[in-house]
Amino acid sequence: MIMNLNFSRRQFLKVSGLAIAGISALSSLGVTYGMAEVIIITEQAEGLVIGDPTKCVGCRRCELACTEFNDGKASSTISRIKINRNLQLGYLGLYTGKCDEGKWGIGLIIQDICKQCPHPVPCADACPNDAIVIKPPINARVVDSDKCTGCKMCQRSCPWDMISFDSDTNKATKCFLCDGKPKCVEACPAEALKYVRWRDLSRSVPTRISPTSVISQEKIQACMGCHK
Amino acid sequence: MAKHGGWAGKVLRVDLSTGKISTENTIEKYKDFIGGTGIGYKVIWDEVPSATKPFSPENKIIFGTGPLAGTGAPCNGKTAITTLWPTCWPKPLVASGHMGGHFAAELKYAGYDAIIIEGKSEHPVWLSIEDARVELNDARRLWGLGIRRTTYEINLQMGHEASVAAIGQAGENLVPMSVIINSVSHSAGGGAVMGSKNLKAIGVRGTGSVYISGKKEEWEKAIKFHLSLLGANNQHVVPSSPQPWAEYYSPGSRWISSKGRNWEASRPPIETGSCDPHNLNRIAYRSNNAVFFLGNDAWKYTVRGNGCTGCPIRCHTILRVPSVYSKYAIPEIGQNTCGGLNFGRAFFKTFPDGPKSQTSIEACMVGMHFADDLGIWNNYGLLQRDFQKLYYDGILKTKIDEKEYKSYSWDKFEKGDPGFLFELLPRIARKDGELATALGMGTGYMLERWGISEEDWKKDPALQYWKMGHPRHHSNEDSGQIGVIINTQYNRDAQCHSHTNFIRNGLPIEVQKRLASELWGSPDAVDATLAYTPMNIYKAKMAKWSLLRKELHDALALCNWMGPISASPLKERGYRGDDSIESLLYTLATGDKKSCQELDHVAERILLLHRAITIRDMGTKEMRTMHDTIPDWVFEDIKDKSPFSKGTNRMDKEDMRIAMDMYYEEMGWDKKTGAPTLETYRKFDLGDVAEKLKQKGLLP
Repeated sequence: MIMNLNFSRRQFLKVSGLAIAGISALSSLGVTYGMAEVIIITEQAEGLVIGDPTKCVGCRRCELACTEFNDGKASSTISRIKINRNLQLGYLGLYTGKCDEGKWGIGLIIQDICKQCPHPVPCADACPNDAIVIKPPINARVVDSDKCTGCKMCQRSCPWDMISFDSDTNKATKCFLCDGKPKCVEACPAEALKYVRWRDLSRSVPTRISPTSVISQEKIQACMGCHK
Repeated sequence: MAKHGGWAGKVLRVDLSTGKISTENTIEKYKDFIGGTGIGYKVIWDEVPSATKPFSPENKIIFGTGPLAGTGAPCNGKTAITTLWPTCWPKPLVASGHMGGHFAAELKYAGYDAIIIEGKSEHPVWLSIEDARVELNDARRLWGLGIRRTTYEINLQMGHEASVAAIGQAGENLVPMSVIINSVSHSAGGGAVMGSKNLKAIGVRGTGSVYISGKKEEWEKAIKFHLSLLGANNQHVVPSSPQPWAEYYSPGSRWISSKGRNWEASRPPIETGSCDPHNLNRIAYRSNNAVFFLGNDAWKYTVRGNGCTGCPIRCHTILRVPSVYSKYAIPEIGQNTCGGLNFGRAFFKTFPDGPKSQTSIEACMVGMHFADDLGIWNNYGLLQRDFQKLYYDGILKTKIDEKEYKSYSWDKFEKGDPGFLFELLPRIARKDGELATALGMGTGYMLERWGISEEDWKKDPALQYWKMGHPRHHSNEDSGQIGVIINTQYNRDAQCHSHTNFIRNGLPIEVQKRLASELWGSPDAVDATLAYTPMNIYKAKMAKWSLLRKELHDALALCNWMGPISASPLKERGYRGDDSIESLLYTLATGDKKSCQELDHVAERILLLHRAITIRDMGTKEMRTMHDTIPDWVFEDIKDKSPFSKGTNRMDKEDMRIAMDMYYEEMGWDKKTGAPTLETYRKFDLGDVAEKLKQKGLLP
């Protein structure tokens, strides 16, 4: 699905994890293509974890906290934050022949973190069982393990390869922001991870000058057509 | 799922002679020895007969992790490598090296607690372990490559996540002074043993998990508690300079972060800051071992701290020194700690611009570049001290022919030009020429080859030579008699940090004495450095505790360079650490409830087995006189200060005799011979071991 990034979320129907209405957002715009109604998720998670690669010291305590404190076992494979795969040879090093990151390169370690996609949500969109749902109040997408059948379609759909698969439970798993207190952030000994809440900054951008130009009455009238 | 948490549950056994790959149940066979060196010693005792040579196919090399490897227990990155140690002189005996990095965690995730390598392959091979898929692969195309290239080639085949432990040219060429390295800079000895088996590398990739038996909430609480007690590297618990939060400071501390001190080679620079101990999100900024060893100039080159899995301390420092790229055409990035960091620098007596200068840092970079790629061991700095003595005492000139002598640029060496290392280090790895061959054999064998008496080496305090081809490693300069006792016990340098971590933690002696009385029963267990008092029973208790905790850490896969947690940076705790932290973590991880004393009991079993193997392979019970020896320089002082006077590390011979008596008594060993008694073996369920020794007349 190709979506215009400027597409306003108000044009979609808000869909919550508790009440996934079977009404397509597209149908609300009068575009149905004659297909069955589909669910379009457009909810933003409360925030996301961001990493500062210059501070990452490669200890993987974030991976361990993610899995031990949530799953009761230590594993970098099911960790929802990914350090190990970029640790030695960097993000692209091995396959491009440019070992310029990681321990064997310049030392920089890129933390791979779930982007909490607001829309589209490739993992949720790909799930044939609609098992990737919004969990309030943080509204992160989580895998509903009752619905997950372990088909791994979500894993194949995430462009950033951020879905993990737990072979013990035969279920997919993804970052759910630990319900607002991410364990990985708490565990980092180098302050390289932060949990950042989304906030509307559009009104806090300071103006550079105080406008003094005078706008003609005719033009103002024209503006008023929309901005009532 | 394994019955116990912590352990992966299986030990991998690879016979290179037949290509047979099999597994054993860790719990059934090795639980009484926990893991790590415990498994290593057990295999050597059971399966490697006396008089086996290190490079013979009958020798085995064991890569042992433990139940805490791969978990979130702080500082758990160790893989203990146990084998017959090729530099142990005059007869190779059992010893172990401890490799950090990410190999241990990956091995656990693949489902194995240890790997036992036996036999010898017909041609070079490398071992790939991808969970249950274990294969021997042709390594003929890798043979001759350095560790860096080998790792890269194996990662190309196994993927980004694989951890690779490889040997370089030194190991291939059976240079006894060689190492195995994973994750760039994490090394342990035994490179030539792998080389002798035609095993170039082990690549491991694990997608599984290590299970925690206890409730995850309790585990989280325990981990956070442990983290709260951590100091800086070597568990130094006070900062090196005054800090707003700190009651004390000590210039010798490795806790060197401060406002205004930055990782300057990072883009952008990162400030280390004041690092209040209550802020667990800043532990990684506390230590910078490059600065600790090379001085404040090293801040300029610091990219960041690096280290092992699960360790917030980051004792390996990544340095970026652009000048070495233009001057020597080597990568401008390098990393290591302590001996590895100082590998190149330590060869030189002087540098044109001073001991902690730009040139000395360049020498470090050149040294790391070669040593960690060729895979050369420094024998805790003795290689470099030997080299200086041989040259400056004029011995070297008499031992090698003129043509070879002239093939080295001695003017470069004398001037302190790091370019000299380009001539020396690759030749050591290739056994190229008499000098390089002799240096690569290790001190004991080098002296023998050149007809130099070991006594000459024992006399020179500058060499810090201890015995059996190896140097002191935190001996009398770190807690007097306790350090001396510890240095008598192993078949290589002692590598025990339990005592030095306490004595050098930076707390004032009054506080240390208060903590000591809680830990070992009396404040008299510790003395202020350079103000030693005569031996007492509490020092013997501390020596025993130090050794047991070292063995325990090596078995659990914790780092003895950081533990035990005998003190903490927390004023509100009266700077107390927690002596039972190992038992808390072990019990929660494995589900096998063991108190601190019960774990120490297992550690003592492991140490006892090490002693038994040593006695068996030396073929004598006279350990006190034949093994537990102390070099003369311990009993001397350059300014001839008398023992126990202020300002000297000098020990007294009679007092050390009493010290050894007390130590043997604490251990339940015979005082006359220093050999464990039958009762002691039985107490630790090693009755069968005692029986075998008895048959050979090796019980006291």
